[in-house]
Amino acid sequence: MGESNFGALRTAPNRPVAPDFTAQVFTRIGLDRYVTAASAIGEVFVAWRSGGVSALRIAGDAMTFESWYGERFGRRVVPAREEDPISAAARAKLGGDEVEVPIDLGECSPFERRVLEKAAEITRCNARPYGWVARELGVPDATRAVGNALGRNPVPLLIPCHRVIRTDFTVGGYVFGSETKRTLLEAEGLDFAAIERVTRGGFRYVGDDDDGTFCLPTCGTVATRVGSPGFVALRSVDEAHAHGLRPCSTCRPIAA
Amino acid sequence: MPLAAAVECLDPDAALACALADDLDRAFEALVIAYRVRIVTFVARMLHDDARAEEVGQDVFVRAYRALQAYPAQRRETLRLRPWLYTIARNLTRNAFRDAPPFADSLDYDDGNPSAALIDEAAAPEDILLRSEAWQSVDDAVARLSTAIRPAFVMRYLDDLSYDEIAESLDQPLGTVKASAHRGLLAVRAYLENNDG
Repeated sequence: MGESNFGALRTAPNRPVAPDFTAQVFTRIGLDRYVTAASAIGEVFVAWRSGGVSALRIAGDAMTFESWYGERFGRRVVPAREEDPISAAARAKLGGDEVEVPIDLGECSPFERRVLEKAAEITRCNARPYGWVARELGVPDATRAVGNALGRNPVPLLIPCHRVIRTDFTVGGYVFGSETKRTLLEAEGLDFAAIERVTRGGFRYVGDDDDGTFCLPTCGTVATRVGSPGFVALRSVDEAHAHGLRPCSTCRPIAA
Repeated sequence: MPLAAAVECLDPDAALACALADDLDRAFEALVIAYRVRIVTFVARMLHDDARAEEVGQDVFVRAYRALQAYPAQRRETLRLRPWLYTIARNLTRNAFRDAPPFADSLDYDDGNPSAALIDEAAAPEDILLRSEAWQSVDDAVARLSTAIRPAFVMRYLDDLSYDEIAESLDQPLGTVKASAHRGLLAVRAYLENNDG
């Protein structure tokens, strides 16, 4: 019996490797990978390692992205040949699916991380002022530091830093530009024309008599209801209390 | 293009070695994708431990990357990737073995003279191996081979490496690896016969 008769033995089953095998190896050798994905603002580069997504930037010149990445994170990033669970989750979320995406904020300071985690709690069709984030974190004087931390968000869109706006409810700055920020927020359902109608008159809150609560004008679509029966624009928390209204538990307007 | 270079391009490993020489970081994922299942499977058979195989399999590629980083581009380009990766895997599983002693009831005996066991392979009736669909039994048999002959047997009969490649991987003479692989085959066959049905 010749060599060729060992064919059956050579079909011995292989042991499958874990889906994150390659990511584990790459993390251990200090090399990250990236893919191109479609998002609400067009094509973006998404870089990741075994701990989660590490960076997101608008797709463009690959060399520019790779050198920016090296400077920011001190690691090289190379184009990925295959998808893995983390990049697939990021791609799904950027495409609009409600999925959990692991994020690696390893390069951020503890304060930056707290700011970004708070921003991540803000849901679609909502925006909160920088000062609100500062108060929620128990550091009401750190509004500027909050803005800086959000400006350094390594994973825009995946952590929705665009949902944090200026205290006067104008959109404020954004890593991809103010226009993009406004477009994103409006695509998510916020009506800035309605918000501006409220704030132009010096009003900061919107009361809902039926509910007995008052909200920030950027809490869902509440600003569009001002003028309809039961909804009233308010200048201050005192005024809201005078109406017998309590703060909305979603947007927690006292914190603003 | 010279003929030799043209022929080399047909060999995916040669193309991969060229890519690694050109830009190690960009080509490295292709190496991991091409070899991760084979290497982890080989490691699992060497260790008879699926849980540790994953971790030691990662070690193999981490070690490979560091070595490739240290090699000049010309050495990377001419590297025979398959036997080279198996060498690393073999060395790392040998280290792992020191922590966990192999089975006491080793299937093969070592009389100190491997060539004595070298029998003409063409005459060996391995029908039972061909019939065997219970691969778990094969893995159990492999786990009972001594560490001296297990790598050669697995590389030859389960991973389909050539004797040249095995000799290169294990840094042993051709006759030794042939004898080891064959003794492994006899021992595995005997085990399967005794455990058949």
